[in-house]
Amino acid sequence: MPAPARIRIPLPAATTMVGRYAWSKVGTQVRSVAFILIYLVGFKVLILRAPPAQAARLALGIAMVVIGLAFFLEGLLIGLMPLGKRVGVQLPGRGGLGLITGFGLLLGFGTTLAEPAMAALRATGRNVSAWETPLLFMLLDRYPQALVVAIGLGVGVAVALGMIRFARGLSLKPFIYVTIPLLLAVSAWCARDPNLAAVLGLAWDAGAVTTGAVTVPLVLALGIGVSRASGSREEAGGGFGIIMLASAYPVLGVLVLALLRAPTAPPPTDPATFFSPTHRETALRVLGSEARLVQHAFRQGGPDARRAVFADEATYRNAVTSLTTPSERLRLLGDVSLSEWLTQSASPQERAWLALPENPATSAPRDPGAPVLRILSEEAGLAVRAVIPLTLLLLAVLLGLLRSRPRHTDEVVLGVGMAVLGMALLTSGIRMGLAPLGDEVGRPLPRVFRSTPREEGRVVLQPFGPDQILTSFGPGGERQDFFYLHDRRGRPTPVPFRPERYDAEAGRYEHIIERPPMFGPDMSLLGIGLVLLFAFGLGYGSTLAEPALSALGLTVEEITVGTVRKTAVVRAVSVGVGIGLVLGVLRILYDLPMIWMLMPPYLLLLPLTHWSEEDFAGIAWDSGGVTTGSITVPLVLSMGLGIRSEVAVADGFGLLAMASVYPILTVLLFGLFIRGRQRRAMRLLREGDDDE
Amino acid sequence: MSDPLPATAREVSRVTCAVHHRVTASVVDCLLALGAHTFLEQTGRCVRQRIRPRPWGWPGNSLRFDDAPMDILRVTVPREAAPRVMDALAQAADLSSPGQGSAYVQDLTEYGHLEPPTIAVPDDAPADARPLLRDLTLITAIQSMAGGGDEIARSALRLGAGVPLISLGAGTGIRDRMGLLRVTVPAEKEIVQLAVPSHDARGILRLLVEDGRMDRPGGGFVYLTPVRSGIIDARMRLGPQEHAASIEQIIAAVDDLKAGTAWRRRFAGPDDAATDITLRFLRRQREITFICEEGRSDAVVQAAMAAGAGGATVSAVRRLRAGDAEGGIAARERGVLVVPAAVADAVTAAILNAAAETDGSTCRVQTLEAPLAFAHQRARGGGERASVGNGR
Repeated sequence: MPAPARIRIPLPAATTMVGRYAWSKVGTQVRSVAFILIYLVGFKVLILRAPPAQAARLALGIAMVVIGLAFFLEGLLIGLMPLGKRVGVQLPGRGGLGLITGFGLLLGFGTTLAEPAMAALRATGRNVSAWETPLLFMLLDRYPQALVVAIGLGVGVAVALGMIRFARGLSLKPFIYVTIPLLLAVSAWCARDPNLAAVLGLAWDAGAVTTGAVTVPLVLALGIGVSRASGSREEAGGGFGIIMLASAYPVLGVLVLALLRAPTAPPPTDPATFFSPTHRETALRVLGSEARLVQHAFRQGGPDARRAVFADEATYRNAVTSLTTPSERLRLLGDVSLSEWLTQSASPQERAWLALPENPATSAPRDPGAPVLRILSEEAGLAVRAVIPLTLLLLAVLLGLLRSRPRHTDEVVLGVGMAVLGMALLTSGIRMGLAPLGDEVGRPLPRVFRSTPREEGRVVLQPFGPDQILTSFGPGGERQDFFYLHDRRGRPTPVPFRPERYDAEAGRYEHIIERPPMFGPDMSLLGIGLVLLFAFGLGYGSTLAEPALSALGLTVEEITVGTVRKTAVVRAVSVGVGIGLVLGVLRILYDLPMIWMLMPPYLLLLPLTHWSEEDFAGIAWDSGGVTTGSITVPLVLSMGLGIRSEVAVADGFGLLAMASVYPILTVLLFGLFIRGRQRRAMRLLREGDDDE
Repeated sequence: MSDPLPATAREVSRVTCAVHHRVTASVVDCLLALGAHTFLEQTGRCVRQRIRPRPWGWPGNSLRFDDAPMDILRVTVPREAAPRVMDALAQAADLSSPGQGSAYVQDLTEYGHLEPPTIAVPDDAPADARPLLRDLTLITAIQSMAGGGDEIARSALRLGAGVPLISLGAGTGIRDRMGLLRVTVPAEKEIVQLAVPSHDARGILRLLVEDGRMDRPGGGFVYLTPVRSGIIDARMRLGPQEHAASIEQIIAAVDDLKAGTAWRRRFAGPDDAATDITLRFLRRQREITFICEEGRSDAVVQAAMAAGAGGATVSAVRRLRAGDAEGGIAARERGVLVVPAAVADAVTAAILNAAAETDGSTCRVQTLEAPLAFAHQRARGGGERASVGNGR
């Protein structure tokens, strides 16, 4: 058979074609990122009244996010998803149920290992304290491998179950009716024990995190393939539903692991007891070694913890003073810098012991961040890790087991290349642009609702003499001493003089930089309102830009031949994430128990699912897992960190879980709305009468 | 081509039935009950105009387009059984009331190893069935999604031509010969199907070409195929009704009385479109449809192109089978090509040969005359023109 000749396209025409194509793809992504960008910058400038720092770097990062998104999504659409669909279509024909199950297990496990967001999850655990939540600390710090395996097994079982479901044409609903109440029951049971309750947040977040930007489209494509290949008409619901299972089973995995580990974990105590010598044996069981115990006392604990960890006052004092030598500092503080430790953790006593010869660098010069190239190379490594092994696994199954070839090998290669490049650009761009921006807005966020001034840093003014002090008088004749200090814009500003901070002999004055509450002491309700508004917008905007959701939306539009539009799905999900974040922030602010935040929405979801059509049930439950991807997670976590630093809450987990539940609700409601509209149209067709 | 065809040719009928997603189940049951053992299902949607009063008492009405999810079922039956199948379908889906869906029969030649099902034809033909419309023509328009999108469907509604049925496909052909540069050309196509009275078909075709701006690069491709008989969904508008009967009901009633649609002729003169000198139409084409297992269409299309076809539009469909226990996957691809009648036999043979090399048993080819077609002409006559240059 003579293959038709290949058409030669002259270079100028080819350039125009590529240019137009690239322009349209980048344009789409500019629109999807625009909201969150304008929102963050607007919040920063209008409410926090500070221009973004390092604007050039931020701009570069954001440009990288946009281009990375365009590349990544296109790579998914022309490379990874067709490959996944191909494997999915071929699997049921060639392999039996056993092969499908084995492949599902392997794929699910593999995606978890490859998922970059897993690292983010562990990073959240850095602030977990060993005495308040020993079990959570042990899971994150002592047994991270076991944690990954538990999550991976969960995803593997979920993918395998999902594929069996498609191959057999089973409805998703029974799976939901069994899995969700089981999860809630185990969670409720765990909530009774303070140690296990602390793990709930981690468990639910793990479910949300595992389904990342690479996993979701791939699993979705696979599901669609398997479901197309099996002849069942209605029940399979068009290939949706695996992601929901892949979000639910890891929760179960983590909870089971926690239940297994629970007997070894001591009950929560206060730091003084935890670090005391009498408690040493138990503490070592949590932390592993003496050195780590001491480091934990320095990094996480307060002065009382440090006092308790050392046998006597002298050792304690020696250890504190040894912080000035770099090697000891590394041993005791790890990657926390001395100035950070001084402002955040050290007591006046400890500062006095240190009696630093040099000025403690107060508001330490902002970390300029790692150089662009290093970030790029690091992220490129992660991107390769996230994309390549999965692709190879799929290719191996396709070529080896199914004895088939990808439809267009060159497109798959190009697509995988674009996906890797796009992901590297996207994640580096997030690190350089979006995450710092989110951080800059998220961290000072508590200022908005705080009602008392807060110390921000200290400056030692030396030499400082009485002639710097000026005097003014109030309307009642009261005397007030002040001196001038340059503010951020370089204008001299009067600052009240406090005699207790003046050391006349040394001629030095320690000035404490304070930030006043933004809305005065009585206005914190307005502030909380603003924070909630911010949380909503952050959730809405970052979800709009989420690439996995884009892929889901496109798939939905394709499968329904346009009766359900991509933009509608994306918006419904984004609103849900916004609502979820608002409730998650409320949980952190008022320290509400996790279980009470998760139980009601899930219980509400069950009847809604029952009333929904099969395909919309699948789409809705899947969108719950899709929402928490590469863009949402860092932004949400930095907001969570910011708020948590202000409010005394043990852990900030749970935000992501909240961001996963509510989209399900909104999409189900949206589905019911669409069905209602279609029904009305059907009735119009029959009766010819508009009832509106 | 002198090669013997690796399959037997049969003169059969293809019944296409498009119904709302919610009634699909009953239609499927009905087809199974009739004894149809293998049929194809494709997802589609149809668009209607929705008229509603403007909110807050603003004067006038607002008009927007409303989508309804449809399922398209296609089954091959012996010619003599077609009326019986249509009657059963009309009853199962209540097609006689406007807005439920549509069904039509096309007579064609099918090549393949699969025997058409034997369908019991009762001697006493049901008397209650609404008489089928006889003089119908199917207009099929294929347009790039990136370019036109809903354009054709909307102009069909604006012209009052009928309720358009939309499904998706991927254009292959020239696009596949461009090397990796093909990724810059969107492959997604919208396939719009519209059954209209035969005497108006050419006029409507010309209006669609003009209104849908198909006379320019990347504008799309449109052709006519004959329909033996059918029931058309005439309900183009949803909204408040001001009279005792809707205009669609009146049209349907007159159609019944006149036993045909000739009375609604709207274009004067014979063969209006064909005499138009500003647009160059293609005549004497043939529509070739092939159905093969998922993933095999590329080889088939390449073979067809080597034999003289311009390209194909391939849609993903599923075969539904009575007892689906026997293996094999349900995913099928259905490709449509339009080629000049002169090369039709060669292309058919090439497709069958190519299919025989990969999977011989499941491939089917259906050919049908397409008396008139239109495409912006630049490529070789006939065949579906790939939209080079991403025209919009």
